[in-house]
Amino acid sequence: MSQPAYGSAPRSAAGGAALSADELAEELNRVFAEEIEAAMRYLHLANAVRGLDRLTVEPILKRGFSETIQHAEVIAQKIRALGHVPRVELQIACPGEPVTARESLRIALTFEEAALEAYQDLLRRVEGDVPMEEFIRSQIALESAHVAELKELLVG
Amino acid sequence: METWKEFEHNVVTHSAAHHLMAVDDLVRKLGYARVSDVARVLGITRGSVSVSLQPLKEAGLVQQDENRHLRLSPAGQSLVDSIKTKRHVVQRLFADVLGVSAEQAEIDACKLEHLLSNETARRLVSFLRFVDRGTPESRRFFDALRSHDSQCSHEPSACPSCPSACLADTLRQS
Repeated sequence: MSQPAYGSAPRSAAGGAALSADELAEELNRVFAEEIEAAMRYLHLANAVRGLDRLTVEPILKRGFSETIQHAEVIAQKIRALGHVPRVELQIACPGEPVTARESLRIALTFEEAALEAYQDLLRRVEGDVPMEEFIRSQIALESAHVAELKELLVG
Repeated sequence: METWKEFEHNVVTHSAAHHLMAVDDLVRKLGYARVSDVARVLGITRGSVSVSLQPLKEAGLVQQDENRHLRLSPAGQSLVDSIKTKRHVVQRLFADVLGVSAEQAEIDACKLEHLLSNETARRLVSFLRFVDRGTPESRRFFDALRSHDSQCSHEPSACPSCPSACLADTLRQS
């Protein structure tokens, strides 16, 4: 399989808008920020949940933290492969108030859905770059599984 | 109620006000607003926008359709219009009347826009109308304000504006 040429010139993408390596790195930086921020929110929620359901929900939130950090690391590797250094600017405020287990899962669903949409948008933008498409698709599958699990937990 | 606690009784926070205004600006400019558009305008992540919009949706200020396009509800639109009006009024007061630099006036107006009460904003509008009328009285007022010597003796006992300490000195030290 031929690898796309990651130069400064726009790469040709079959049917899609051509993204230069710099533009692709910029797009990846955005999802990198989404993942880092999601990890921070998971960590915060895991420590903010109160009530008996905490016993059930804390491991789920901690697993969410671990998985989103892993996602961020994979994205960072992709950015490095483009010859860039990952860049992240976050403005995050997590209130110092307790949340219920249900509320924590609802918040997690909100930012997981946002991350999923970010990957879906990115997939459209890398159309024609088969390896990157495949990578983004695999991320979409993972994010979709997170979203589905959270929705299932919130039923009822 | 202690006055400082009023701060926490505002309808929206500073951040929420900017989310609402971003939705309004995007809808005016593009005809639609998505979470990704708001995130780009505000320079934050989609996750952050989604989390911030949730309470605004629950408060009935923002609506999202089946295409996930955002728009302001009538209540949200009314709130944004009010905030934008207050920003304009405060900015004009600071820049045009008090002579604060345009850049600083914009920054300070941004900080105050969502905190100002309607009562105070209405009085400011009335004051600006007086200034803008261009009548001999308003021109005299303006001339007097502009020619006022802002130098002071730094002697509170001789100053009608300073309660105990010299206000000018206090600001210089902070």
